[in-house]
Amino acid sequence: MQQLWLIPCLPLVGFLLLVLGHGRCSRSVARLVGVGSVAMAGLVTLWVALDFYSAGAAQSYQVQLWPWFNAGTLEVSFGLYLDGLSLSMLFVITGVGSLIHWYASGYMWQDPDYQRFFAYMNLFVAAMLTLVLADNLVLLFLGWEGVGLCSFLLIGFWHQDPANGYAARKAFVVTRVGDTAFAIGLFLLFRELGTLDLPTIMALAPEQFVMGANRPTLIAALLLAGAVGKSAQLPLHTWLPDAMAGPTPVSALIHAATMVTAGVYLIARTHEVFLQAPDVLLVVALIGLFTLLISGFTALNQTDIKRVLAYSTMSQIGYMFFALGVGAWNESVFHLMTHALFKALLFMTAGSIILAMHHEQDIRSMGGLRRQLPVPFWCFVIGSACLVALPPTSGFFSKEAILIASWQLPGYGPWLWLGGVLGAFITAMYSFRLLFMVFFGPQKAHPHEPKGWQFHPPLMILGALSLVAGWFVLPTATVLPASPAGHPPTWTIVVAIAMPLLGIGIAYKVYVRHQWQGLRFVQWQKLRQFLFQGWGFDGMYKRLLLTPFTTLAQVNRNDMIDGLPKLLIQLSRFLHGLFSQLQNGQLRFYIATLASAAIIVLALALKVL
Amino acid sequence: MDSQYIDHAMVLAGILFCLGLVGVMVRRNLLFMMISIEVMLNAAGLAFIAAGSAWGQPEGQIMFLAVITLGAAEVAVGLGLTLLLFRHHNSVNVDQLNQLRG
Amino acid sequence: MNWLALTSLMPLLLVASISVILLLLLAFIRDHKLTCWITCLGLAMAAFWAFADMGDAPQQVTPLLIMDDFSRLLGGTVLLVSLACGWMSYTYLETADEIREEYYILLSLAALGACVLVASNHFASMFIGLELMSVSLFAMVGYMAHSKQQANMTLEAGVKYMVLSGVSSSFLLFGVALIYAYAGNLNIDLLVAAEGPRLQSGYLVIGSALLLVGVAFKMSWIPFHMWTPDVYQGAPAPVTGFLAGAVKVAVFAFAMRWLMMAQGGYLDLLLLGLTVMAVLSMVVGNLLALRQNNLKRLLGYSSIAHMGYIIVTLAASATLGAAALSTALEAAAIYLITYASMTMLAFAVISQLAAQDRRFESGTLAHYQGLLYQQPLLAGALMLAMLALAGMPLTAGFIGKYYLVLVAVDSQLWLLLSLLVLGSSLGLYYYLRVILVLCKTPVGDSRLTLGASEKLLLTLLVAVTLWLGLYPTPAIQWVQLAIQ
Repeated sequence: MQQLWLIPCLPLVGFLLLVLGHGRCSRSVARLVGVGSVAMAGLVTLWVALDFYSAGAAQSYQVQLWPWFNAGTLEVSFGLYLDGLSLSMLFVITGVGSLIHWYASGYMWQDPDYQRFFAYMNLFVAAMLTLVLADNLVLLFLGWEGVGLCSFLLIGFWHQDPANGYAARKAFVVTRVGDTAFAIGLFLLFRELGTLDLPTIMALAPEQFVMGANRPTLIAALLLAGAVGKSAQLPLHTWLPDAMAGPTPVSALIHAATMVTAGVYLIARTHEVFLQAPDVLLVVALIGLFTLLISGFTALNQTDIKRVLAYSTMSQIGYMFFALGVGAWNESVFHLMTHALFKALLFMTAGSIILAMHHEQDIRSMGGLRRQLPVPFWCFVIGSACLVALPPTSGFFSKEAILIASWQLPGYGPWLWLGGVLGAFITAMYSFRLLFMVFFGPQKAHPHEPKGWQFHPPLMILGALSLVAGWFVLPTATVLPASPAGHPPTWTIVVAIAMPLLGIGIAYKVYVRHQWQGLRFVQWQKLRQFLFQGWGFDGMYKRLLLTPFTTLAQVNRNDMIDGLPKLLIQLSRFLHGLFSQLQNGQLRFYIATLASAAIIVLALALKVL
Repeated sequence: MDSQYIDHAMVLAGILFCLGLVGVMVRRNLLFMMISIEVMLNAAGLAFIAAGSAWGQPEGQIMFLAVITLGAAEVAVGLGLTLLLFRHHNSVNVDQLNQLRG
Repeated sequence: MNWLALTSLMPLLLVASISVILLLLLAFIRDHKLTCWITCLGLAMAAFWAFADMGDAPQQVTPLLIMDDFSRLLGGTVLLVSLACGWMSYTYLETADEIREEYYILLSLAALGACVLVASNHFASMFIGLELMSVSLFAMVGYMAHSKQQANMTLEAGVKYMVLSGVSSSFLLFGVALIYAYAGNLNIDLLVAAEGPRLQSGYLVIGSALLLVGVAFKMSWIPFHMWTPDVYQGAPAPVTGFLAGAVKVAVFAFAMRWLMMAQGGYLDLLLLGLTVMAVLSMVVGNLLALRQNNLKRLLGYSSIAHMGYIIVTLAASATLGAAALSTALEAAAIYLITYASMTMLAFAVISQLAAQDRRFESGTLAHYQGLLYQQPLLAGALMLAMLALAGMPLTAGFIGKYYLVLVAVDSQLWLLLSLLVLGSSLGLYYYLRVILVLCKTPVGDSRLTLGASEKLLLTLLVAVTLWLGLYPTPAIQWVQLAIQ
């Protein structure tokens, strides 16, 4: 297992090479380095997986690289930890990541900042790999911050347009709220358990914490806040739709497959702490449920193809949180993997469509593209089928498993199940609305399919994987606790399968046959506006937080009593000016100062006598 | 020398030191400032000699040799700087050196 | 002196021989490149020898010098700083209309003085080392006196440094004389000779205070700091690098020996004065740097603040007592090493830029505007230096600050700790301001180039700064070895 360090190191080396060779290497070299480093990391992952499986797939490995710093009992080192959970994440990140990089090498070919793009992407992959492989929470936090930084850099990649910069800043600031809570949670965790080493925490948590007590609940709640920020769940979800301002491969990699799943990974990784706080787990499930429903409704009203997919991502991650909350840990990670596959597929296909339509992203301008763009069409069909959880796609297996587990939960189980099924219905409606509006109906524009061998193969590979991945069993069973046992009544399974079909049928009627037009919210302007703006969260935050803040700032602007920071700044400037006056450049003044200071030092020393 | 007189010698050295210090502060001519610095160094040297004498050791005298050597070296460099200063500004007034400030 | 002692002095002997060789060489051949190569090679060999000797038993070479692991480690650091200084001086001097080769003699003499200072166990050798270093520096600071652009500033800086240094050396000497009068010998350890006049302890107190004045001047602790910004701004950039790096390290190494490791209770006498100087330096040093427009001046003020931070270790060793003394010593040594690396990086960049356009060192920050787009390597190195000085994690500066905070918390020095934090946040403002200027849109074209050897130097310095930040363990182990 000694080759484990290569996995995060290879993309990092790629980043360094691209930064140092900036301006000097051609596009082909940049492409080779950028895609190659992630692909090589994928190969090393396979090698590691071989070792892992040949040893029984039940082991966990901790590789200590070197110590970083320590203080008292806290010893922070650069160390890596491999078990079934991190191996699953590695598959997703390197596998899906290399396919996306391959696709991106064609997508971004015309862009003048080609090398910079791949440098950032490689840095992102390196940070994400550090996050999942870290064996202590400090290193995990380093990776966490790293992916946040790269997300900022990549969302605002086309920085000449200030709107992109605004979106990037919004993403950074909103996730920052979560990150601060995360850091406080880490402090508390260290104070309680005395260590930040993950295997030790997992062993100590059940012993040291009393289930349902205040301390584990508080710590789990803070960790949850961090996860909520990074994974764009309610209430810190407002940044994800705006993050679509970045290039499409970025949306595919960061905002579908990897970074937004970091929150899910965090909760799964620290599951022992969460198990000691069942109230927080219920909150996790509820947050997942509400996000899933609200973003689903919002997706029904979006007209930008990428925003629909963004809300869809939010919704699916809501499913993952939902699964974590009801105790279906393995199923959640399984859904993470399948979601990564089909969501990346959907985003990349959307990218091909956007390129073909000359950067047009409004679906109302699209139509009837299935004849002109056959490969994207079929890939989109496969992706949507997985998203909607039609049998026998991989999406079906993962979503069914989650719904079954939710029914089993004692207490609220059936209500949560009902919410999940409703979510499946809405998912089917919006995803097939998208499919029908883009690919069916009268053709409104003339697409030009992008040429290049980088476009179709990754899509096809992802399509194939999305179909067969359902039969793949992830090695997380030894790491995560098992989901609640038991079989729900058969009618629940029938309903669960029927609902998506019902949704597809309604979507078909409305968007292909153009019947039941009353169901289209077009008439209900107010409701449509409300849903379009994501249930008014942005507006609410604006009214609740931003406007009072700016109003207060305006009011105080002419006020002399301006608040402590302004005072501090003025004080600093004043003192600076004052002391600078003392540096008058006159040598004899300097000597006089020296002499008087010597007298003062003498006086201070003589005080001792 | 008896130990009771060492205090007197030290006071003398101290007065000499202060005279030198005041000289450095008051004088505007670089050459005179350097002379005053020499006075301060020699005051310190005097203190060394007094201490060495009180203890009956040669260390005091050795240190004074070192002090003289240092004084010579410093003066050498200082005179070089003085010459350059004169060449540039046509005077050795240190008050005109106030370009670096703030 | 036996053979063993002589070989343990090898680093110093090597440096001394460089100066002699150069003196003789310059009588016959005047070749800038050759001179620079000899200097750098000699300094590198001396540094290598010093580090290779680590782990050997301490050698008391005459009562004056002690070559133990502490002197080897910090002496090696000083030699590496001098090496960097000599390396970066090459391009700087190439474009100066001034005689070039004598500079290296002065540099090697200054390095020798610094090494003697680090290794000294006796006030006489301390004095010799200190003055050797200082007098060489007088000449180095005023070196560019014939070049038309710089003559004004270097002369002014040189005169100011010389006069103020002369005054402070006199204070220092007088203090040593008083201590000698009290103790009867010039050893740093206060072992009073049995027979002899018993003087009042007033002699010791006043002597220590005056000695502290001399040390404080060199360390630029407020209120003895007045020379620092002017001399930093006026001196040629490589010389400023030497001033900021080697002088501070050497003088503080001596201060560590004198205050922390020697018996005599000096620290208890001076603690109040030191604390006041620390408070003033941390706050006022950062305040003075806030809106500075000249980069070297800004770095001068920031070095005042950094030297203020390091007093925390002195205060901590007073509170912690003998048991945990090693923690304080460790923190101080690590801080010195990390500070030296970051400072040399910053000054290497400034030297490279100033070598091509003197306005980079004498003008305002506006000259640096947009450097990131014109010379990404140089700008990146400068940004790393600024971040390291601010104490960003993953750089050397973080490790240094971390150890300071650790020591402060251990000894419960809450006032100093809060001022350390306050000072660091103030510092963040002006360091980030520099980075901001580098990232702005450039005005006009620039014809800046970067040669291969300079790239190598910058790469090495960047590597050291990052290495100390990411993997400080070997350095920390060496430091622990050095603290007995």
